[in-house]
Amino acid sequence: MCLANVNSAKKVLSLPASDLQRLLQLSSSEVQLVLHAVSRLFRSVPPVTALQLTLGEFPSLEPGHRLSFACPVLDELLSGGLPLHGITELAGESAAGKTQFGLQLSLSVQYSREHGGLGAGAVYICTEDPFPIKRLRQLITQQSRLRPNIPPALIRSIRFSDNIYIEHTADLEALQTCVTQRVRTLLERGLVRLIVVDSVAALFRSEFQADEAIERARHLLAFSATLHRLSHTYSVPVFCINQVSDVVDGPNPGRCDYGLVDSKLLPALGIIWANQVMVRLMLRRQEGCLRSGEQTSAARKLEVVFSPHLARASCLCGVWEEGVRGISQEGEVKSSPGITEQRKKDFLEPTDSINRTA
Amino acid sequence: MIRTVSGSPLAPSVKVKLINAGFQTAADLTEVQSLQLCKAAGISQEEADEALQTLHDHSLPLQQRAAVQGLTALDLLHQEESWGNIVTFCSELDNVLGGGVPVGNTTEICGVPGIGKTQLCMQLAVDVQIPVCFGGLGGEAMFIDTEGGFVVQRLVGVAKAAVEHCAALVEDEEQRSALESFTVEKILSGVFLVRCQDHVELLAELHLLPDFLRTHPQVRLVLIDSVASPFRQDLHDLSQRTRLLHGLAQHLTHLSAQHGTAVVLTNQMTTKVSPGHTHLVPALGETWGHAATQRLILHWEGAQRFATLNKSSSRKDATVPYNITVDGFRDASISVSSVLSHSPAAGSHSKRPRTENQHT
Repeated sequence: MCLANVNSAKKVLSLPASDLQRLLQLSSSEVQLVLHAVSRLFRSVPPVTALQLTLGEFPSLEPGHRLSFACPVLDELLSGGLPLHGITELAGESAAGKTQFGLQLSLSVQYSREHGGLGAGAVYICTEDPFPIKRLRQLITQQSRLRPNIPPALIRSIRFSDNIYIEHTADLEALQTCVTQRVRTLLERGLVRLIVVDSVAALFRSEFQADEAIERARHLLAFSATLHRLSHTYSVPVFCINQVSDVVDGPNPGRCDYGLVDSKLLPALGIIWANQVMVRLMLRRQEGCLRSGEQTSAARKLEVVFSPHLARASCLCGVWEEGVRGISQEGEVKSSPGITEQRKKDFLEPTDSINRTA
Repeated sequence: MIRTVSGSPLAPSVKVKLINAGFQTAADLTEVQSLQLCKAAGISQEEADEALQTLHDHSLPLQQRAAVQGLTALDLLHQEESWGNIVTFCSELDNVLGGGVPVGNTTEICGVPGIGKTQLCMQLAVDVQIPVCFGGLGGEAMFIDTEGGFVVQRLVGVAKAAVEHCAALVEDEEQRSALESFTVEKILSGVFLVRCQDHVELLAELHLLPDFLRTHPQVRLVLIDSVASPFRQDLHDLSQRTRLLHGLAQHLTHLSAQHGTAVVLTNQMTTKVSPGHTHLVPALGETWGHAATQRLILHWEGAQRFATLNKSSSRKDATVPYNITVDGFRDASISVSSVLSHSPAAGSHSKRPRTENQHT
């Protein structure tokens, strides 16, 4: 086998059987035996039942907990928070408040597991704007207001800003080396349990022209494959912020609108990227504003576009001094009556319409 | 039919020696004993045995081989009928598919992200376990997850709804006793999960699948969600990808027929640009279109989800609406006039799970 230069399991398995037969000078039944033996060596975990997963016997396959958004309403919408495996995308127009979510998650990941975190830092990859350090400082000082249930002493004991690793990447090459080398090192050392990319769209949209679609697709696939692998290997949630693009023309069979018929905006980067996303969220500015105590905030709607485990639902949220908070149905906020949270119903009616009077 | 030595599935070195020794066709070898062959061709006894065995099998005329295995078209029909179908819980889709996803065949499900491919897979993984007296198969399922879309929490929800559904259908004593053992835990323990991160892991898993099916004869459904993802991410050599996919498709077709399991594959969609306009087509290229016996395409039409049977050897093409609810994959609550009128198949449907939208 070594003579034929087929010396790794990976190589054996990725060759078509007939090539293998020719290379190794074996008959077809012998090749089957070889493949079988190699496969056996290669497989790490035998099939497990879903029952074993629910019992938590295989935390590497099904961790059983999620990364909290530090807000009960948002956590409820996402049934516990960010899944530890796979890419979660948040798309929205500029100034919708996407970065606020990224910042809040980078702080919430640092709490211990009982407080909804993962007990490690975050790596924050900026491709668009410089990292909003001032806002981060403000969020850190306001943590005790955002998390009234956590003892203030515990909050003070976490050195939040020391645990956020900020990476600025100005081009695609830098982005790829960043995720394949530096981020991997951080994950291996256990310093980091969250990857935030703010935003994926910026570089992929700016570096390619209209006629370079194939090249762009190749880079996009390579990038998402790396993120996927990191996420599954280290059980690390990946949070990607995405821009949106306008829907210009009428019905187009080549466009996938995810049943969002009333929307004039769709997440950027097209179907190639969408195929790689496990949970897609969309954030939209709404008319009217929300009031909480003395603060006011423009109303925003966070909507689950698709996800293997969530209903197509939405909730209202606002950006406050202490961070992002969703508005529960009862509403501590006065200016938004008439909001019916159609959590269960939205499964049946994909185009939810929130009746607003504000 | 003349069977040549050079076209046989023997090791190349053996073939060369046989041909050099003057054995050109299978007929040349019918009269020869293995010991003679050893000496004449200068090969080992094992090789000679294997060569004779292989060529002897293949030299039989086709009718004779069929007779040896005892399979006539009628037998095949009976076999197929006895294997049954896996219901989808969407009665319109079941009608289109002729009673559900056929066991012993491969079915491909294509669709854009978020359309419900994974949801349909989970629904099937639960439905294959419905007890026989409720019109199910009482089997188990194997779920090969390459995208990470398998979330146990969701499976629990779908399983709960299926159990409640069967509980509402109980009519006689047999069903009542069957229902006692048909619990959510039972369903969960009947779904085997494997996660594969790249195409190598997927191929390795598929090589081990025949063994798994032999030791778990209850498994009547193999789901791969999705085939596209690992092959599109890592493989840039297109000709190698096509050949590997071709081998994989053959392997799965063989497996489904041999072990009497349904094989369900999911595939992504991609944009095809032709001059003037673009449209969505299933990924992995044109040749992959031949891989599965049936191809189902899920798509949006405005705010409604639709399923189109795009390729099938036994059913005619049709498009039906469906919904994804908290309970799983269900009938669309509204009737859509644009749907081609499809006469409901004859026969009793009393055992077919009906759908009611409990949350409206």
